[in-house]
Amino acid sequence: MEKVMMYTLSTCPWCRKTKQWFNDRKVPFDYVDYDLASSEEKEKIRERLAKEKLDLSFPIVYIGETCVQGYNPGKYGALLGLS
Amino acid sequence: MDAEARKRALREQFEPVIDALGFKFTPDAELVDYCLEQEMVLYERHGIPFCPCKGLTGVREEDMRKVCPCIPWHKAHFDKMKRCWCGLFVHKDVTDPDVLMQFPEKEME
Repeated sequence: MEKVMMYTLSTCPWCRKTKQWFNDRKVPFDYVDYDLASSEEKEKIRERLAKEKLDLSFPIVYIGETCVQGYNPGKYGALLGLS
Repeated sequence: MDAEARKRALREQFEPVIDALGFKFTPDAELVDYCLEQEMVLYERHGIPFCPCKGLTGVREEDMRKVCPCIPWHKAHFDKMKRCWCGLFVHKDVTDPDVLMQFPEKEME
């Protein structure tokens, strides 16, 4: 199964829903709550997102190399081959 | 001022602004409650009720675009989604907010 990495915010309801979606389907993922990260880590996240021409609107989910911005269960399922 | 009073104060502060922009609070009462609570967390942290779903950079010009209600800065995008990014506000004609999807600004076309 593709590796899943998320950038989230501890204050964001849609980030919470996204984590819940993956937990409900027992899909392992790593995540970083951007607002609680160190300055260095925030800088790295901003650089990575800038390459994708994405702003800091969360959640941002990488499934393999594909990036999904916004809570989008349809895309998560399609990218993971889950219904 | 206790938490409920502060949430009411935020609501009363936002209502005329969003109304003039063609938006209303989402019918999803649970989401309204959660977002306002998180905005109070952000108010405590930063002194400003920022959007709970947009990250800050520390650059004033950039972060000012994320002060709730941030609709004026993202009007075209939010009009396309018929909601703001965190979903706290929706277009006045929306009755079922669950069908409204988030999509990135760059996918607007």
